[in-house]
Amino acid sequence: MTPAQPVILGDMPSLSKLYVNAAAQAARRRLLGTHDQADLPSETHEVRGVTVDVANLTAYQHLLGETASDVLPAGFIHALSFPVAMSVMNRDDFPLPLLGMIHLRNRVEQRSPVLFTDALDITARVENLRGHRAGTQVDVIAEVRLAGKDDISWHGTSTYLAKGVFLPGIDKPSAAPPKGDFKAPDPTALWQLGVDAGRAYAAVSGDFNPIHLSVLSAKALGMRRSIAHGMYLASRALADVGSVRGDAFIWDVDFDAPVFLPSRVALEIGSEQDESGAWRRSGFVAWNPRSGRRHFSGSVTAL
Amino acid sequence: MSIDGQSINGPATPGAAASSAPALRRAVVVGGNRIPFARSGAAYAKSSNQDMLTAALDGLIARFGLQDERLGEVAAGAVLKHSRDFNLTREAVLGSALSPETPAYDLQQACATGLETVVGLSNKIKLGQIDSAIAGGVDSASDAPVVVSEGLREVILDLNRAKTLPQRLQILSRLRPKDLAPLAPGTAEPRTGLSMGEHQALTTAQWKISREAQDEVALNSHRNLAAAYDSGFFDDLVTPYRGLTRDGNLRADTSMEKLASLKPVFGRSLGADATMTAGNSTPLTDGASTVLLASDEWADARDLPKLAAVVDAEAAAVDFVHGKDGLLMAPVFAVPRLLARHNLTLADIDYFEIHEAFAATVLSTLAAWEDEEFGRTRLGLDGAYGKIDRARLNVNGSSLAAGHPFAATGGRIVASLAKLLHEKGSVDGRPARGLVSVCAAGGQGVVALLESL
Repeated sequence: MTPAQPVILGDMPSLSKLYVNAAAQAARRRLLGTHDQADLPSETHEVRGVTVDVANLTAYQHLLGETASDVLPAGFIHALSFPVAMSVMNRDDFPLPLLGMIHLRNRVEQRSPVLFTDALDITARVENLRGHRAGTQVDVIAEVRLAGKDDISWHGTSTYLAKGVFLPGIDKPSAAPPKGDFKAPDPTALWQLGVDAGRAYAAVSGDFNPIHLSVLSAKALGMRRSIAHGMYLASRALADVGSVRGDAFIWDVDFDAPVFLPSRVALEIGSEQDESGAWRRSGFVAWNPRSGRRHFSGSVTAL
Repeated sequence: MSIDGQSINGPATPGAAASSAPALRRAVVVGGNRIPFARSGAAYAKSSNQDMLTAALDGLIARFGLQDERLGEVAAGAVLKHSRDFNLTREAVLGSALSPETPAYDLQQACATGLETVVGLSNKIKLGQIDSAIAGGVDSASDAPVVVSEGLREVILDLNRAKTLPQRLQILSRLRPKDLAPLAPGTAEPRTGLSMGEHQALTTAQWKISREAQDEVALNSHRNLAAAYDSGFFDDLVTPYRGLTRDGNLRADTSMEKLASLKPVFGRSLGADATMTAGNSTPLTDGASTVLLASDEWADARDLPKLAAVVDAEAAAVDFVHGKDGLLMAPVFAVPRLLARHNLTLADIDYFEIHEAFAATVLSTLAAWEDEEFGRTRLGLDGAYGKIDRARLNVNGSSLAAGHPFAATGGRIVASLAKLLHEKGSVDGRPARGLVSVCAAGGQGVVALLESL
């Protein structure tokens, strides 16, 4: 398949408008019946020359526990690219309902450091529509390049699940994979997440998804309480891994049980060295210290 | 001729040729003074850090006749310190009977603050930069600084920078009710969110330290401290303050049964065996301590006692953030380095003062030194580092009984150990040796070697 010309968006899309539009689309589809096509839009959306507000960067770094350097944290770039990704999922020909999609997995390749002074070209596309025992999943690919350059500095794959949505022609996997028994290790850290953790991350990331903001707004979408942003949790784990990760790394996270706010989250981070003693990888896992349920796990690996 | 100024005659330069590296001279401990340590919220509930440090200083000044003396330098610090106390030690000097021409500085290294002031000032004396000094520390858990929330702080700072009324109103509109709630200092390690007790609970479980062994350390601490008070050991080390004549936390009549009846407070939620109680952990404490240091010449000229020499010191830190080592285990690495520099082993030490942050901290330290694999893989030795004679450990009690006003603990230990060494005199024809070990937040530790005079 030859790559189509990207759809160039003049400005960074507004996430709040995208959420409103997604709600309207959900209502429309409810009236007109569900989408029954099983094709993904092939277009890539692109915003060029994106710049970073340094005050916002500093607020992000303080909130997540990152060193306030001039390098953009990998999670900050995710937040920067998120509206472009959302604009693709907001297209009329995107077959899954955007609201209520569950973030299952995230993988970022930070190939080279990006400074806050760099102007950035950000692209996003969707691919790999496939079945899941509980619905249909899709990968959203975002790529970030220094403006006008070909080399990708940052490559992100976010996997989302549309729960309960089954599209024609897509088989769901026959059986659920066996649930591994999770036994909590000794923690190396303990996070105290206040009821405002979702609002605080929304303020620095721009992701004002109502399920993260308050008990009321979460209940309106069928949650019993608000939940922490997955990327907030993953980005804090990345910050906790620390400076050992260097400038280029792969950052993987798998999300399990959501973190209802307020909450305490226990975390274990362990690192592995190669034969020469150089850092190779840090694995992390987080769980609820009361129930023992796993919230997420992942790793940061040298690239 | 006397001048109403400050004589240009400083310390005599040790060694004749000042241009080349001078030979180091000796730094000695003349004595010490502290106020009794109080449990937080008790006798010193309304006393500030400056109040207590000044009280401890004045007691020392009175004991050694230092009124109106211009000392070389005074260094002290507090772990919980309000930003308005940026010059805490200098302000305490100005409020004391010392000459107002005595310079002072603040130092902060968490619980190692007090010991580090002794080390730094001793080094200045050894180098010939000063002849005399007072080292010390103070902390109040009762009068702890309370700060405003980040939200309110940012609004206040932005208001300061605003130029117009609409700007100010816009900034004020950002205030939320929760921004007005004050914040007290927390006990959690900034990078892990775990409290010091929770960190130690992990180390305790890792080294399989039993509840009974911890309670035994606590019992000995109370018994030894009570016996030392009864024998008059502290008569020239402690000055009563605010009605206290002994440390408020001391329980002379405690027993293994009483200690065993306490419920665990740390490690309950960590999945580890919970063994750490309020009885075998130090309580939050208020108090202050000081130590008078000098060159031989300065002490001799004033006919002051010389208890012990500050021989050497070593600091260490561990990578505790992801659990490679326990938070409070840095002294495990500092002590072997310090002793190796002097061709000494644990067997050559006559008295050990290992700060009892928790009973389990002492026991984990000893366990690591006794462990073959730890000695080989972490200390680079052929086997275990060594075992200490427990009869030489904390013989006059330590922090579990006395309490632990963070920055004041180093001064308490150094003054007590110096006196103990002086009383011991010599062992097999050589000076008696004492080792101080203090662990600190942030995975740090400072240890020091003293010798009797």
